[in-house]
Amino acid sequence: MSHSTAPGEAPAGGTGPTGMAPAPHIAPAAPAGSPTADGDPPDGRPAGGRRTRRKAARASVPPGGVTWRHRLRRDRTLVLMTLPALLLVLVFAYVPLLGNAVAFKEFDPYIGESFLESFELSPWVGFEQFQRMGEDPYFWAAVENTLVIFLIQLVFFFPVPILLALLINSVVSPRVRAWVQGVLYLPHFFSWVLVITVFQQIFGGAGIIAQVMREHGGGGFDLMTDPGFFKFLVTFQLVWKDAGWGVIVFLAALAAVNHELYEAAAVDGADRWRRMWHVTLPALRPVIAMLLVLRVGDALTVGFEQILLQRRAVGTGASEVLDTYVWNVGLENGDFGYAAAVGIVKGIFGLVLVLAANKTAHLLGEQGVYKK
Amino acid sequence: MSQTHSPSRRTFLASTAVAAAVAGGAPLLSACSSGGEGRTEGTTTRKDAEKIVPAYAASRVVEPDIPGENGSRPGFTGRAEPYGKLPASVPEKMGKGGKVTVMSPLWGTPPEKDCAYYRAVDEAIGVHVDWRTQDGNTYGEKLGAVLASSGIPDMVVIPGWEMQGKIHSAIDSRFADLGPHLSGEKAKKYPNLAAIPTEAWRMSIFSGKLKGLPLPAGAVDIIIPYYRQDVFEDKGWEVPTSAQEFMDLAKEITAPKAKVWACEDMKWTAFNVFGTLPEKPYCWEWQGKKLVHRIETDNYLEALEWTRKLYAAGVVHPDAMAVRGDAGTRFTAGQSMMTNDGNAKWYGWTFEQRDRNPDFRVAGMDIFGHDGGDPRLYFAKPADIWAFINKKASRETVEECLAIANFAAAPYGTKENRLIRYGVEGTHYTLKDGVPAKTPQGVTEVQDTYFFTAGPEAVAAFPDHPQVVRDWCGWQRRMGAFMRKPLLYGMQVREPNRWANLGDQFEDLEDDVVRGRKKISDMQRAIEDWRRAGGDELRDWYRKLIDEVGESAA
Repeated sequence: MSHSTAPGEAPAGGTGPTGMAPAPHIAPAAPAGSPTADGDPPDGRPAGGRRTRRKAARASVPPGGVTWRHRLRRDRTLVLMTLPALLLVLVFAYVPLLGNAVAFKEFDPYIGESFLESFELSPWVGFEQFQRMGEDPYFWAAVENTLVIFLIQLVFFFPVPILLALLINSVVSPRVRAWVQGVLYLPHFFSWVLVITVFQQIFGGAGIIAQVMREHGGGGFDLMTDPGFFKFLVTFQLVWKDAGWGVIVFLAALAAVNHELYEAAAVDGADRWRRMWHVTLPALRPVIAMLLVLRVGDALTVGFEQILLQRRAVGTGASEVLDTYVWNVGLENGDFGYAAAVGIVKGIFGLVLVLAANKTAHLLGEQGVYKK
Repeated sequence: MSQTHSPSRRTFLASTAVAAAVAGGAPLLSACSSGGEGRTEGTTTRKDAEKIVPAYAASRVVEPDIPGENGSRPGFTGRAEPYGKLPASVPEKMGKGGKVTVMSPLWGTPPEKDCAYYRAVDEAIGVHVDWRTQDGNTYGEKLGAVLASSGIPDMVVIPGWEMQGKIHSAIDSRFADLGPHLSGEKAKKYPNLAAIPTEAWRMSIFSGKLKGLPLPAGAVDIIIPYYRQDVFEDKGWEVPTSAQEFMDLAKEITAPKAKVWACEDMKWTAFNVFGTLPEKPYCWEWQGKKLVHRIETDNYLEALEWTRKLYAAGVVHPDAMAVRGDAGTRFTAGQSMMTNDGNAKWYGWTFEQRDRNPDFRVAGMDIFGHDGGDPRLYFAKPADIWAFINKKASRETVEECLAIANFAAAPYGTKENRLIRYGVEGTHYTLKDGVPAKTPQGVTEVQDTYFFTAGPEAVAAFPDHPQVVRDWCGWQRRMGAFMRKPLLYGMQVREPNRWANLGDQFEDLEDDVVRGRKKISDMQRAIEDWRRAGGDELRDWYRKLIDEVGESAA
């Protein structure tokens, strides 16, 4: 997503409204004087439209005297190094995007000999697939479930790794620390099939808890087939499996905090809580903001395999999310055109969300995922 | 069997094809669709079909000990002869030494690509097969992509339960017409294929062309309600003979504290007990002058309501409620006492448990009418899994494929059949007192692969467990007496594309209703919606089709 290497748009000085800027030594934002800023025009304000600025750079020698060609020659090693990655992105991300065109067709992949021929022979239906979406109660139910699960995960899952990171950070003994980290990371490497089977064995109707309750004269207990509880159940499972893994990023950010700051704070009489509040948390802020933006942009993706595996335990009414819906319509029922249309809507909505979240982050003085 | 996805109708049905016997036998999910031209929709009339199917020429090597009756499978209870003494149905190698790629589903762990079993069978056929096996439980997900690609193998096995969406369209455009090789007297060249029952061949006509090489199913191969005979006898439980008795017994059996529940999800049995029509396309019946769909019948709703009561009474295993794990594992482990599954499990479980639990005995219970009277049952599809040959294959390759199919379709009691089913004597199985026993290598390597390229008439033959054959054949004969043919029986019907996805949500809805998450009234509303969204038009379409081609092909 980063456009900061595009010609003529390097961050020129400062990071915007810096009133609440984080401690400079951990802020990765390129300050003035970073290599890309070299060739910027002296006025350097990112005010002008991108296109006009680029055109200007190409057409005439900018005031700085460094042309596009100069830069290309100067950075040729870097450019060459990035080419393979660019090519991969092009082939595996952008070329397949063209396939979305089937959303405007009644697509039958078998009608012709090849994809292109099938595409050609399938009849155009315009926006019919999109209209169908509007009248499709199953689609809207999937949207609702997706958003509800997203919100619950945002509230109950997102903060957990942060808290865990603070906790681990407060453990002094390196050996204990390494051990705790290992224990926390481990569940991430279990497959969902395994995780859900374990949950069934413990919380299912014939699971350990239910059996113990029965032995003591209680009734049954079944957490796994309750449609109303499902959204919390998936969040619970997610916390168990991935919260430990999420700690890594925050720990890395914490490791970068200058210890002198703590010492200085301590000298000034700050107790543990104050140090956490005024030193540690500000250090985590940019990372939290960035992950939050990423998460919001991904709001409509709430765990495909995990939910697919439990879809029938609670019924589609509670568990159908957009991804499983697309899978069901497209792969299971072979309705490719409609599935693609749903996918496009999901993509556009995700883009809008990421832009909105990023904007919000900027307004709050954070850097977000990218900056203009 | 590793089940990465929750068992759905498809994986459930597929289970009938695994392990020992023949696929199919169940009402199936097979939404049909087309590229849109009227030409390919509908079915082929009996008269037209007669010109297309191979001329039947019986070839039976051994006479069955239990003859087929009421459509039941003929049973063989005799001892197995050593390989050397068996007659050969393919005396000369038909293969020309070519190489053929075959994609097929496989339920189990695939053997090594170059294992002794593959090489031995290849050697006997004279064709080198490059197997592209895929997990049978998720076969449908791969199939669609493979058929849309340019790298379609020479031969592709497609089960009927994977033919939803646009797969029918792929069969039209991707696979070869086998008519020029097999129609009428031409089939003489392949005697084992000519001996496949005509009903199975008739089911292999897609859009008016002979396209599939069928694996015939028994006409009574429907989902069997199984019970633990050993435990029933031990506890003195009587096998129920009505819906009410079943419920009463289920309550008696259930003892959650001891981790025992009466049954698994019995929806499939409920459909049979309440005389519900089969699924697409045999899902219509005349009620007076009106053509009625299975979901519109009272029987359908009654079956769901009864199943719901079982769940509500707490007699169904909780893991079945959650659709987790394997019902068969719980059943054999004694956590549930009744279940329903494909007919292959009768032998499959007996074989699997013979060492682990010598007391283990399983039996199918006779399907009862809900009120204790005679049940109303419908015959199973004559074939529901086919091998197709790539349209782009050269004439030589097509002939190599047919050589494989002809070999695999060898009847019971021949050298070829033994080799396909058991592998090489001494390597994959040993024969002692006429009882073949698979070696560990045999268990690993000899799986259903060649088996799916075509099959002989469906029989029941397990020399190691003749009692299973007797019980199973007896059950089939008794049930066969209650069977009738649904409308359009025996025809391969293709519905128009626009209604292909009309009934997609009903399976989920059924599961919601029986588990108490939705009400019968929700189902009734969905049926109303179905009528409006095209169900009534579909009805007219079927009415016209029946006027045109007659009520049944068989």
